[in-house]
Amino acid sequence: MNFANRHLLRWGAALSALLLLAAACGGDDDRDAPATTAAPANGDAPAPEGLSGSIEVSGSSTVEPITALVAEKFNSANPGVGISVEGPGTGDGFQRFCAGETDISDASRPIKDSEAEACAEAGVEWVELKVAFDGISVLTSPENDAVSCLDTGDLYALAGAESEGFSSWSDANGLAAELAAAGLGGSGAPYPDAPLVITAPGEESGTFDAFVELALEDITEERGQDEPTRVDYQASANDNVIVDNVSSNPTSFGWVGFAFFAENSSVLKAIEVDGGDGCVTPSIDSIADGSYPLSRPLFIYVSLSRMTDNPALGPFVDFYLGDGLSSVAEAGYVTLPDDEVSATKAAWAGAG
Amino acid sequence: MTARTMGTPVTQEMIRRALEGRKVNIINPLVALLLLISLLASLAILVVLLWDVVAKSMPVWQERGWSVITNDLSPRPAETGMIQGIFGSVMLTVIVVVLSFPLGVAAAIYLEEYARDTRLTRLLVANIRNLAGVPSIVYGLLGLSVFVKLILEGMVGQVSGRTLIAGGLTLSMLVLSIMVITTQEALRAVPLAIREASFGVGATPWQTIRHHVLPVASPAIFTGSVLTLARAFGESAPLLLAGAVLSTFFAAPEGTPITDLVLGEKYTALPIIIYNWSRQPQQEYVALTAAAIVALLVILLVVNAGTILARDALERRNRM
Repeated sequence: MNFANRHLLRWGAALSALLLLAAACGGDDDRDAPATTAAPANGDAPAPEGLSGSIEVSGSSTVEPITALVAEKFNSANPGVGISVEGPGTGDGFQRFCAGETDISDASRPIKDSEAEACAEAGVEWVELKVAFDGISVLTSPENDAVSCLDTGDLYALAGAESEGFSSWSDANGLAAELAAAGLGGSGAPYPDAPLVITAPGEESGTFDAFVELALEDITEERGQDEPTRVDYQASANDNVIVDNVSSNPTSFGWVGFAFFAENSSVLKAIEVDGGDGCVTPSIDSIADGSYPLSRPLFIYVSLSRMTDNPALGPFVDFYLGDGLSSVAEAGYVTLPDDEVSATKAAWAGAG
Repeated sequence: MTARTMGTPVTQEMIRRALEGRKVNIINPLVALLLLISLLASLAILVVLLWDVVAKSMPVWQERGWSVITNDLSPRPAETGMIQGIFGSVMLTVIVVVLSFPLGVAAAIYLEEYARDTRLTRLLVANIRNLAGVPSIVYGLLGLSVFVKLILEGMVGQVSGRTLIAGGLTLSMLVLSIMVITTQEALRAVPLAIREASFGVGATPWQTIRHHVLPVASPAIFTGSVLTLARAFGESAPLLLAGAVLSTFFAAPEGTPITDLVLGEKYTALPIIIYNWSRQPQQEYVALTAAAIVALLVILLVVNAGTILARDALERRNRM
């Protein structure tokens, strides 16, 4: 492979094109072809039996650690393949994915209809592969003894659209009573009379979307509200900022992905969540068996359109779904049960 | 003796004495004291900051030694390293020096020495000053839309234009206006008498600039440029937009030649690594982030010290 020369040539071509532009002499890439063939191949040119090419992954910051571990293992077995793994957020990831810029998009929620449309318009075909589970941990400070279990009604009363302006936990008492009367939960009330300081992920985050969907959406619709959450809380894209803020304030409130809670469980308290079947603590077991209400699947989306040009992509996904899945536990997430693994592999086999 | 100390200062001093007589001035020492306190306060902030990062990074140096510098990025905090970021930052700086130094100095020479003082010139100068005040993130947007999308992906036809050269071009744009301004100031500080003397013996404008103006101005140009480069070295916001990889793992195919690492591969930079490590969940990253900051500071200090030495050597040569 003679990338260096090709890039240099193209650069040369582009620069001369720029220079010639003034002389109204639109340069083109014609000279590329003879020059490339004329240039003798590098000494190591004969295609090795190993793979070559490069793979670009973007998307959810929650899934990034898993894919990064898989990528590192794959790269050490196939050093000829360049890989980059980024985590700007699920939404940003799909934007680039559907523009055809990335090979794989990590996602902490399924693709939205609008995003799927963008993909279809750009002619990007994809397959969705479930790779792990994650739980959203609802947090407060370990010093906060007054709150230990909340149901979805409580979460709505404290963080939903109608909670805007509540600066103390007890401000939500009235709303919780209203919800309880309507049979929408709110069993955690009355709440302590203490400042309610919320730090949580912002809208760009898949964790935000998942929290809205799993905890708030039903009640938001029931109550005829438009906003997915209250807007007057401190939003941060940096999960460490959330952890810091929640742990440093005794009556704080917030939510992050389970991995972040697990790494910082000494300075945080996870509030149990009642999804209708009693209070459940987020743990690897309760997330894997689905008894923890705020758990969600994590996905990778593979661009089938890039498969043809990129011989390394197929083997990478094969590796991901084989040896790679051991990285899920390593990254602090919950592994899929065996039947789900088979389902994912079947989806991949059907697509590839 | 440089030309700067000739003439005016002596008369100023004489005028001051004549006006003030021998009155005892209490305002003066008071002001001096206040100024000293401000200096010490800013120094104290620096010392606290340095102490904080160095202390936080100590565990990393003790446990990992040089491997934290020389390893590639890894999703495992115990094995990760910052060499890819150091390589990226150094290459970015090289690109910025090669592009913006000659361009900026040339533009400044034209504005100061050749351009006539017309309305157009004044408009140009005002605009360059405005450009220097534009937030760096805006240059990042420029880099993304012009260098990454339009030129590299559009005209050159690369699959991904998020390469070192795109980042380097973006940073060059960012520092170019500052480079022009600092050079302008340096040229302006050269006394008119030197130019007049040179013209007086029949030198052309270019001969005057080449042999008389530039040698006198070069130490100041040098200092300005280094401060500007240090700024480019520490920038992260424009690079994030212009495509630097914000990641705990990326790798170029093994054996990629260096030209291709610059022109065709993904890259990251030291400030980007600092930002990324600071947002990782594992506790180990607190010390790792501090270590990366220390590395950044040490590189900057070494570069700055090197240039100060070089500048002094240059000044000594000019005096002779």
